[in-house]
Amino acid sequence: MTTEVLWWIFAVAIVAVSAGVVFARTVIHSAIFLILSLAGVGAMYLFLTIEFIALVQFLIYGGAVTVLILLALMLTRMASSGEPEPTTGVQAPFGALVALGLMATLIGVAVSTAWPGDLGQNAVAVSIETIGEAMFQDFGAPFMITGALLLVAFIGAIVIARQEDDE
Amino acid sequence: MTELPFGDAFFGLSWLDAIIRIVIIVLLMTLVVVYLTYGERKVVARFQMRLGPTRTGPIGLLQGFADAIKLLIKEDIRPRNADRWVFEFAPYLTFIPVFLVLVALPFARDWGVRNLALGMFFVFAVLGLNIVGVLMAGLGSGNKYALLGGVRAAAQMISYEIPLVVALLAVAMVAGTLDLNAIVSMQDTRPFILIQPLAFVIFFTAMLSELHRAPFDIPVAESEIVGGYFVEYSGIRWSMFQLAEYASLWAFSIFGSAIFLGGWQFPFGDDWGWGWQLALTLIKSLIMIMLIFWVRATLPRLRMDQLMSFCWKALIEVSFALLLVNGLFLYYGWPEPILAAVNWAGAILFLGGIYLRAVRKPSTKNLVGSYKHAEVPNQ
Repeated sequence: MTTEVLWWIFAVAIVAVSAGVVFARTVIHSAIFLILSLAGVGAMYLFLTIEFIALVQFLIYGGAVTVLILLALMLTRMASSGEPEPTTGVQAPFGALVALGLMATLIGVAVSTAWPGDLGQNAVAVSIETIGEAMFQDFGAPFMITGALLLVAFIGAIVIARQEDDE
Repeated sequence: MTELPFGDAFFGLSWLDAIIRIVIIVLLMTLVVVYLTYGERKVVARFQMRLGPTRTGPIGLLQGFADAIKLLIKEDIRPRNADRWVFEFAPYLTFIPVFLVLVALPFARDWGVRNLALGMFFVFAVLGLNIVGVLMAGLGSGNKYALLGGVRAAAQMISYEIPLVVALLAVAMVAGTLDLNAIVSMQDTRPFILIQPLAFVIFFTAMLSELHRAPFDIPVAESEIVGGYFVEYSGIRWSMFQLAEYASLWAFSIFGSAIFLGGWQFPFGDDWGWGWQLALTLIKSLIMIMLIFWVRATLPRLRMDQLMSFCWKALIEVSFALLLVNGLFLYYGWPEPILAAVNWAGAILFLGGIYLRAVRKPSTKNLVGSYKHAEVPNQ
């Protein structure tokens, strides 16, 4: 009962801050709303009793990804007056089109798939040991290939970012 | 969260129990923070052959309260070109992660706010969030010094989070769990600093950086960028930043002493009752805090590029090597004393390397001004 009430409070709050991301007047406000929205999603994972994913959500999305977005905005978008640059552009309708298409696809897939632990079944608490075994034993090869891919992307990003004038 | 059994709940109600425990911890934290500000001034003053605060109360013991009252009644100023909501909420957002960390810390056997199965992971997941408040303060102030401080803080904290987490993971591998209470109770005969000294060195260095303590206080370097991200704050909002800073200093020290120094367990364990356990936790955290003050009084501040290259070119490599070595030892089940010996060798090599590098640096004795920095690497 308590969990349900909290769930609805968080659901409404997440929709509100997500609307804030879209309708905020400046990019920086959007980014801050995005942090709140992602942290709210992390809290939702807690209600679903998958605390490992919730903590990963806080660590990666709350603490790292959005901070990198904010950092990039601080370095590039601050006008000399100290006022942040507004978000307007001709790309807005295309962005809306992509967002609506993605939303339709995700909702369609989510509704039409039979998930384990659906309504009427008991929620399964996945322990960190299970996740660790799945990641490093059952799916060890894909995990390592993903790691190698990330490493290559990382080195590539450094090479592109550090290009000097005479190269 | 998966909670492990943790004594009886007060009055049998889970939520009331949590609130009572949190209130106790937060009251303790407030008292500790007041005396940490006093203690830091006193200790650093002694290092510099001064007396520190002496006037308010006997040997200045009431100085912290006097400062707190002064800060509370100060005018709350908001610059005209500040981004209003971002500016006003930033101090409170910096405090939330510290508050959340206090929830997971073990203070005595079966006494803390909550005993989480993923305690260690919880601590560094929520600690990652305190960059957000710092960045918001830097962005919202409408001040270039604040913006610079915010950018510096973000770059530094994101970078140093990696060695911090990897060093802690190395210890978690040896312990075989992420549950803080279980990690502490494993250290009944030997604290983990004896087995993983290299991890402790990396953890301590990265912790100084995460806390913006000297020699890594670049985001708040008052001689370069006035005061960093909180330059525009005054009165109660400024004191929220200070509260968050000292509270996270304390929380980090308790966290570190629980993982490396044996928390409430070593050396008396269960035999001497919960009073001793609590005292041990607090004494060990005070040792860590004293070390931090000592480092602050001894070492000069690093430059930004030195800071970043130290993290990315030294700490991260060493911490990953440590992870690899630990993995090998644990996979093949090699005995613990050899693991400890290899780690000690690693720690001595690492610190010795840093020392040798500092000693063999060409002398700058008779050079003046910017010639002292003639050896800036050509970027």
